[in-house]
Amino acid sequence: MGTKTRREFIQTASATLAAPYVITSTALGNDERAPASDRIVMAGIGIGNMGKGDQGAFLGRKDVQYVAVCDVRNSVRETAKRKVDERYGNTDCKVYNDFRELLARTDIDAVHVATPDHWHAILVIEACRHGKDVYCQKPETLTLREGPLMIQAARRYGRVVSGGSQRVLEDYKGIVNQCWGGELGKIKSINVNVDPLSQLCNLPAEQLSPDIDWDLWLGPAAWAPYNAARCSGSFSTAGNSWRSYIDYSGGGMTDWGAHHFGGATFAVDVRELQPDEVTFHDEKEGKFLSLRYPNGIVITHNRPKTGNLAVEGTPGESREPKPVPTYKGEGGIYGDFIDCVKTREKPFRDIELAVNTIAVSHLCIIAYQLQRSLKWDSAKQEFPGDAEANRLLDRARREPWQV
Amino acid sequence: MLDQAFEALKTYDWGAERNVLSPINEAVLSTRNDSAARNELESRLVAALKTPISRDAKDFVCRKLMQIGTAASVPTLAELLSVKDLSHMARFALERIPAQEAAQAIRDALPKISGPLKLGMISSLGQRKDSASVPLLAKLLMDTDPAIVRSAALALGSIRTSESAKALSNARPTSPETQLAVLDASLSCAEALLAAGNKGDAIAIYKSLLGDGQPKQVRLAATRGILACAGR
Repeated sequence: MGTKTRREFIQTASATLAAPYVITSTALGNDERAPASDRIVMAGIGIGNMGKGDQGAFLGRKDVQYVAVCDVRNSVRETAKRKVDERYGNTDCKVYNDFRELLARTDIDAVHVATPDHWHAILVIEACRHGKDVYCQKPETLTLREGPLMIQAARRYGRVVSGGSQRVLEDYKGIVNQCWGGELGKIKSINVNVDPLSQLCNLPAEQLSPDIDWDLWLGPAAWAPYNAARCSGSFSTAGNSWRSYIDYSGGGMTDWGAHHFGGATFAVDVRELQPDEVTFHDEKEGKFLSLRYPNGIVITHNRPKTGNLAVEGTPGESREPKPVPTYKGEGGIYGDFIDCVKTREKPFRDIELAVNTIAVSHLCIIAYQLQRSLKWDSAKQEFPGDAEANRLLDRARREPWQV
Repeated sequence: MLDQAFEALKTYDWGAERNVLSPINEAVLSTRNDSAARNELESRLVAALKTPISRDAKDFVCRKLMQIGTAASVPTLAELLSVKDLSHMARFALERIPAQEAAQAIRDALPKISGPLKLGMISSLGQRKDSASVPLLAKLLMDTDPAIVRSAALALGSIRTSESAKALSNARPTSPETQLAVLDASLSCAEALLAAGNKGDAIAIYKSLLGDGQPKQVRLAATRGILACAGR
C-alpha cells in the first residue's frame, strides 16, 4: 500500500468502485424495513414522557432509521438508546446530552422535540438552521414572539415543521364534522374551557440529582435551584411539575390549550388567522374572555355555563359542506409528518397553524395577567399602542441562549 | 398590605410562601392609571434591589420592573449586568423596558464585560432590535471568541437593517457554528430588505450565499430568496 494509510486507501477504493461489493439486506430493505434510500434518518431531543411516546411512534415505522437520542437526563438517554438498539438488534444508537452535537450531524434528516416548552423555540430554530425537518410537541411556544421566529426559520430553509397535537384532528371529530359539514349554519362562536395559568415557582433547593444536567435543563430560563418537582414531567398543571410554572410553561392554558384551542380553531375554520381583539369580561358569574377574529367569528374562553367546544351556529340554517382536511400518509400525526418530509408538503399541524393556535393561549394569558381587554395586530405581532402589553410579548433568555 | 409585602421581601427566598408578595403583584395592576403611585412602587422596587436581599427576591423584583420599569430603574439594573448571578434578571427587565436608556445602558456596559454575560447582553440588544448597536456588534464579528461572533451575528440578524447586512458581509467566521449564524443572519437581513422593496441588495446577499462551499440548506434558502426577488 506504499505510503497510503488504510483510511486513504479505503476512500480511494470506494470512490473508484461503481457499486458496493456487498449490498446488505438492511440497505435493500425487506418486509420490516424500507430500503435505506427511502428511510428518513431521525433522532429525538427530549425523550422522557411525551418524547418517549413520540420516539416509539417514529421508531416503529419502516421508513424511519432512528439513529440518536438526546436528553439532559442520563437515565432517560440510556433507556431511550436501549429501546432503539433492541429494535434494530445492534448498539448503534448514539446518545447526546447536548443537542448542539446532535444537530451538527449532517446525516440526520429530521428530529422530534419533546423538551419542556421553554426550549422549543431554540431547538426548532436551530434544527432548521442545520437543515433538519422537525416534529415539535405542543405547546410549540412559550411566548408570542417565538412563534413568528419559528415560522420564519421553517420557511427560510424550506423545512417541514409540524406541531404536535394529535387531538386537534382526533378528539374533536364530531364537532369538526358538524361545522365543516354545514349542519350548524353560519358559525358565530365557539367556547373553550381550559385552566389554569402557570405560576412563579419558588420551590426550595434540593440535593442535585447526579442524573441531570441542571444548567442545560434550565437553559434559557431564569436560574433556579434544583428541585425534583420543578422539573418533573408529570402532566399536572396545578403544581409539582414544570407544566405548572411560568418559566417553562403557560400551564393548562397552553398545555391543554394547544389541544382545545386547536380543536376549536379547526372546527370554526380560523386556523390560518389570529384574533384581532380580546375582550375581558368581569361579570357576576366570573371572569372570561372573548377573542374576535377578523372574519367576525368569536372564541370565548371559560364562558360561564358554557361547555367546552360548545358552538353557537345559526339554527335552521345550513351551509354547503366543505371537505375536512386530514392527515397525509399513514400512522396518524406521525405518519403525516413523515409523509410530508418525503413529499415536502405542509403537514396537518404545520408550524404556522400550530403557532396561530397557541397564540390564542398566550393572548388569553396576557389579558388575564393585565385583567383587561387587548387589541392585537397579527401582521405586526404587537399590541398596537399598548406598551404595557407589548412588554409581555417575550422575555430575556438566560445566557448563552439566544434565538 | 403593600408595606408588609416589601417587609417580607427582605427575608424572601427559595421555599418561602409565595403569596406574601402578592400585594406587590396587585399594586402593579392597581397603579396602572395612577402615575404617582406607580412611580412610588417603582422607587420601592429599585430601592429593594440595592439592599442585600436574596437572589430569589431580586429575581422577583426584576420581574416586576420588567412590567413597570422606566428610565428611573435603568441605572440600578445596569449595575447588575456585570454580576454573574444577577445579570440575566437585570436583562429580564432591561430587555423589555421601552425607554432608550435601557438599550444605552446595555451598550455602555458591553465593552466592559466578557464571557457568557456578554453573550446575554448581545442577545438583548438583538431582541430589542437596537439599530444603534450595529457598529458595536459589527466590531464583535471580528472577535477571537467564536461564541461572541455567533452571538453578534444572530443579534445583527434580529436587527435586520441594511447596516446589519453590510456588517455581516465583512464577517469571516472560522467555525461551522459561527458560519451558520452569519449565514442565517445574512438571510434574515435579505428577507427584510426584500420586504422593504430593496430587491437589489437582497439579491446581492442571496447570490453571495449560493457558492458550492455553503451548506445545502443555505443554498436552498438563497435560491428561494432569488426566486422571491423575481416574484416567483
